[in-house]
Amino acid sequence: MELNLKGIGEKDGQALKNMSKEREKVIHNSSTTPINVKFAANEVADALHPTVQHVKVVDIIEEGQDTKTFVLVPNVDVGTKKLAYFRPGQYISIRVEIEDGIYNRPYTISCSPKNANDNIYTITIKRRPRGIVSNYFLDEVKMDDKFAISAPTGNFYYEPIRDAKNVIAIAGGSGITPFISMAEAIVDGILDFKMTILYGARSENDFLFKKRLDELAKKSNLLQVKYILSEEVNPNYETGFITKEMIEKYMVNENSFFVCGPTPLYEAMNEILKEFSIPNKYIRHDALFGRVDLRGNDLYNLTVLTKGEEIHIPCRARETILYAMEKGGIETTSRCHVGECGFCRSKLISGKVKIFDDDICAADSEFAYIHPCAAFPESDVVIELPF
Amino acid sequence: MDREYDCIVIGAGNGGLVAALDLVKRGRKVLVLEKNKKPGGVATSFVRGRFEFEASLHALCDYGTEASPGEVYKLFEKLGVLDKMDFVTVPEAFHVYSMNENVHYKLPFGIVEFIEQMEEYVHGSYDSLKKFFFLAEECKEALFYIEENKDYIDANYVKKNFPDFLKVSSHTVDKVLDSLKMPKKAQNILTTYWSYLGSPASKLSFVHYASMFFSYIAKGAQIPYKKSHQISLVLAEEIEKLGGKIKYFSSVKEILFKDKKIAGVLLHNGEIYEAKHIISNVSPNSIYGRMLPQPIVPKEAIQLTNSRILGARGFSIYLGLNQSAKDLGLDDYSYFIYENLDSDKEYQNQSSIKNSSSVVYVLNNAIPSASPKGTTIVEFKSLFMGDVFSKSITEKNYFDMKSKIAENMIDAFERTTGIVIKPYIEEIEIATPVTYARYGGYPDGVIYGYKATGMDNLLPRMVGMDHENFIPNLRFCGGFGVKMSGYHASYLSGDLAARLTLKDMKGEEE
Repeated sequence: MELNLKGIGEKDGQALKNMSKEREKVIHNSSTTPINVKFAANEVADALHPTVQHVKVVDIIEEGQDTKTFVLVPNVDVGTKKLAYFRPGQYISIRVEIEDGIYNRPYTISCSPKNANDNIYTITIKRRPRGIVSNYFLDEVKMDDKFAISAPTGNFYYEPIRDAKNVIAIAGGSGITPFISMAEAIVDGILDFKMTILYGARSENDFLFKKRLDELAKKSNLLQVKYILSEEVNPNYETGFITKEMIEKYMVNENSFFVCGPTPLYEAMNEILKEFSIPNKYIRHDALFGRVDLRGNDLYNLTVLTKGEEIHIPCRARETILYAMEKGGIETTSRCHVGECGFCRSKLISGKVKIFDDDICAADSEFAYIHPCAAFPESDVVIELPF
Repeated sequence: MDREYDCIVIGAGNGGLVAALDLVKRGRKVLVLEKNKKPGGVATSFVRGRFEFEASLHALCDYGTEASPGEVYKLFEKLGVLDKMDFVTVPEAFHVYSMNENVHYKLPFGIVEFIEQMEEYVHGSYDSLKKFFFLAEECKEALFYIEENKDYIDANYVKKNFPDFLKVSSHTVDKVLDSLKMPKKAQNILTTYWSYLGSPASKLSFVHYASMFFSYIAKGAQIPYKKSHQISLVLAEEIEKLGGKIKYFSSVKEILFKDKKIAGVLLHNGEIYEAKHIISNVSPNSIYGRMLPQPIVPKEAIQLTNSRILGARGFSIYLGLNQSAKDLGLDDYSYFIYENLDSDKEYQNQSSIKNSSSVVYVLNNAIPSASPKGTTIVEFKSLFMGDVFSKSITEKNYFDMKSKIAENMIDAFERTTGIVIKPYIEEIEIATPVTYARYGGYPDGVIYGYKATGMDNLLPRMVGMDHENFIPNLRFCGGFGVKMSGYHASYLSGDLAARLTLKDMKGEEE
């Protein structure tokens, strides 16, 4: 069947024949200037998400017992001219070589995004009893030491479309770090919501940034901080654990709860918030905190396939596969350490692993991909890294 | 690790993966270099809280079903991966709303059903629609013939079998629909899918739009149960199973030459891999402008690249809602929320930073198990034409801007459909042109390759292909390629790139 096409005639049939020449004509008539490879969206992308940021330590601040803040600025000598802007609550992953190990550790940026404009980040590190990296930072790292860090990463930030205008931030111990950043940003006019920080710690000495938090609270009506001591009686503070009644005092019609601290804090808060029937959407946990602690001394053989090599290292039942690789000096690509970011995604070739809180995609599970940062061995294991 | 390969594929996007698998199946030694941590480019998924979001695939075109297989189905069958994927047909073609005119139309799949529904909406459109689908099918068949026989196209065969195709081959959508005497209102509804190609009816080739539209309406649109990441992963796993190698976190800095011939690639980490053939899933802008030694790049390649216009930039919102679709009144799968139904006016609207139009997909209405019981995944796909988005943002205002634009789009959806979703948002992620620029490396965050317009429409690209192979042994695939953007096009582009590379290889052997 041939259609009667109004206004389109037989001679249009020739168009296809001439098309190639027509196209050539357009090409020949166009500019010979060098091809544009600079685009605004890509420049912003590179600024916000650099592949790596080289930094050096320019100041170390004692924050009390066993906690220090490290002030980082760009290490211009190796090409980092500026630091990426970030959202308060995000972290960077820092790469450290200690003895034979290569470690990447996530630390929340503990300053205002405004500081990033002036090319300053701070990270605040508390000593963990058996933590290789935290002990190294507290005992060994000195002024002018140089590190490679990741771009700012993580989803523990205020999202105005989802979160309530009234935020109750619940912090335990060093879990205050994302909130000091948010508090600074509120005072700097970068964030716009009301925040009450309920800050629990064992003793008065364990409060980090107390002086700064009190200063900030004085500067802004949007901000208040309440301190609660769990193991010390002190007339200046409430005593005990954070309770339902304490929280209720600061609640309005709609509230978002941002919780950051050790696992028992998450469990306790979940119980309390359940009593208030708070929907999931209003409860945010900082995944960086509340790591899984396993026991078990069984020793397994871990075989790692990477860069065409086969590396054999030991791995204990209580250690993540990622940790065993780090200790074994294998270069990894991890960031979050809690199965969230997906950067360490690797293929489990054989063996059995126990997986905790892992945000793996359905198709990845089908093909035995795991996040070594959230996987503990239960037998000898063979895994293949993504490069 | 081996340093020498028959072919290196730069980028594990849809095109790159298919090309690599094609070559590996024919016994070639292939290395795929991917800068991200996963295969697929934007054909992927990601997890937030208890939701796994689909990054980009909501309506795969030309897949079809076992009973009525499309080109992509046949391709996956040929590649031996069909039985490893599960697809479902989405429930309806589209439900389009006009914010300006305060009207909406819901259209089904199936040509007969579609035409009948249209006649109900627009009396007197029946005949023109029947002719349209007749012509559309002819265009699809003609395109297939031309591609299969591109080395020797029999003019008489084309004249005899595709006479109407010949007449319309150089015309735009609006011109041909006018010639079919299709009422303007029917034209506006029929061109709803224009935003899948990013070019309005007055610029877009009729042949291109009609053949795509025909595939959709005749075969329906499919999506994979385990999100597009399942397709990407199945292809990637098959490549490695058959001896190919995929290296992630591996970003190519430069293509290397020896005696003026392709010799391999240099990575940003300093590693070098050798191959005489390269398939690029990366845009010609990046290859010609940055990754080739500039003296090697011929004047024509520069002129071709400069003659082209970057296509639509992507903006997406991913929502995990804490209520079921039914409870929220989200009854449809795809809501096209346009300011104007006229695609040319709507194109202008989408060229503004105030654009609040979007296509909204309710994943659970195609796959009930897409998220936990009592929850819903709703994904907004929107576009910005030109560099209007990137011109409006800085590193400092970026986070605020993306929230504001997203909220504007969510509000527009609620206003237009009367369905309230905002109070139920448990998880939200927003992808902008900056996200696409970072993740895919696309120039200015373009997700549709070059704009389909004038002599850079589908047919001119196809007939120009042979003259535009400027660097011997370098072939392109993906959304910036001959077959243009879209999932089906990018998969098929990989197949084409592999066939051309095999031809290049044979040429050398002779």
